[in-house]
Amino acid sequence: MVSKVLICDDSNMARKQMARALPDHWPVEVTFAKHGQEAIEFIKANEFEVMFLDLTMPVMDGYETLEEIRKQDLPIMVLVVSGDIQPEAQERVKKLGAIDFIKKPVDQARITAVLTEYGIIGEAPNE
Amino acid sequence: MNEQITLSEDERDCYQEITNVAMGQAADRLARLLGVYVVLPIPNVNIIEINEFKMTLKSLEGNATVSAVCQGFIGAGIAGEALLIFNDASFTDIAKLLDYPGNLDKHEELEMLMDVANVLNGACIQGIGGQLDIDFSQSHPVVLGQHCSISDLLNDKQNAWQRTMAIEINYTIEDHNINCDLLLLFTEDSVLHMNRLISFLLED
Repeated sequence: MVSKVLICDDSNMARKQMARALPDHWPVEVTFAKHGQEAIEFIKANEFEVMFLDLTMPVMDGYETLEEIRKQDLPIMVLVVSGDIQPEAQERVKKLGAIDFIKKPVDQARITAVLTEYGIIGEAPNE
Repeated sequence: MNEQITLSEDERDCYQEITNVAMGQAADRLARLLGVYVVLPIPNVNIIEINEFKMTLKSLEGNATVSAVCQGFIGAGIAGEALLIFNDASFTDIAKLLDYPGNLDKHEELEMLMDVANVLNGACIQGIGGQLDIDFSQSHPVVLGQHCSISDLLNDKQNAWQRTMAIEINYTIEDHNINCDLLLLFTEDSVLHMNRLISFLLED
């Protein structure tokens, strides 16, 4: 089954890096959003399994996006992906409902580990 | 150098993202030093002429007096200066956070300025270097002026260059009256070289 994934980041390069860091054996259909407001519109129009969400963005930042998801009770798992590695930032996003925090720059091993931990993907075949 | 430096939209985006990661690392260090939460902005990346640079600095000024420290960095054909400009009003709050007692004399302020500059400049420069696989050497920080106006700073340093890539980061600290601007300035030759380095990051 193909998983629907949303990647929300204001940087085009960061969106591409994130998409490249997804596990090779995970069949996905990726959608990109440039900021939180766009992401919310996409989530309301489509069903996504998981979103990778940046924090520092124009229009609607990651914190506001998490609040909005909670307020509207939107069914999506959110992994925050950010360069803001202050302990307080990590605590705040988890309080706002993000299931985990991933440091930028992203790497495939860490993404795979997190997705496996939360049962979003199964163990990698033949590894 | 005859080749004019320019940035494509992708290149600007790339520098912005690299800065984003580096300034996050720097903010983390400062947050731990002061026990605070640092609010991170979206960094500005621009190629600017020296005249525009003066205007950029002026716009930071307002009516407040400032203290400024600069620190050079160099490595792998890339050279630049990190310029940290503090609003003088920030010192009272920084002193409280670092447990300095009573009124500050000029030496104590200088010490704090150097401490914060070391953390912010150092972490940011190394953060950018790390992502580009460059080991930057840093010079000692130099105080450009204490309690002066931006115009004084500018008159002091006359232009040795015409154009530069400027990365501007405005750090503020939540619930405290602390505000500083970190400007990273790269020489023209450096930008040409860095553009080649990041072209590998931009490949599909």
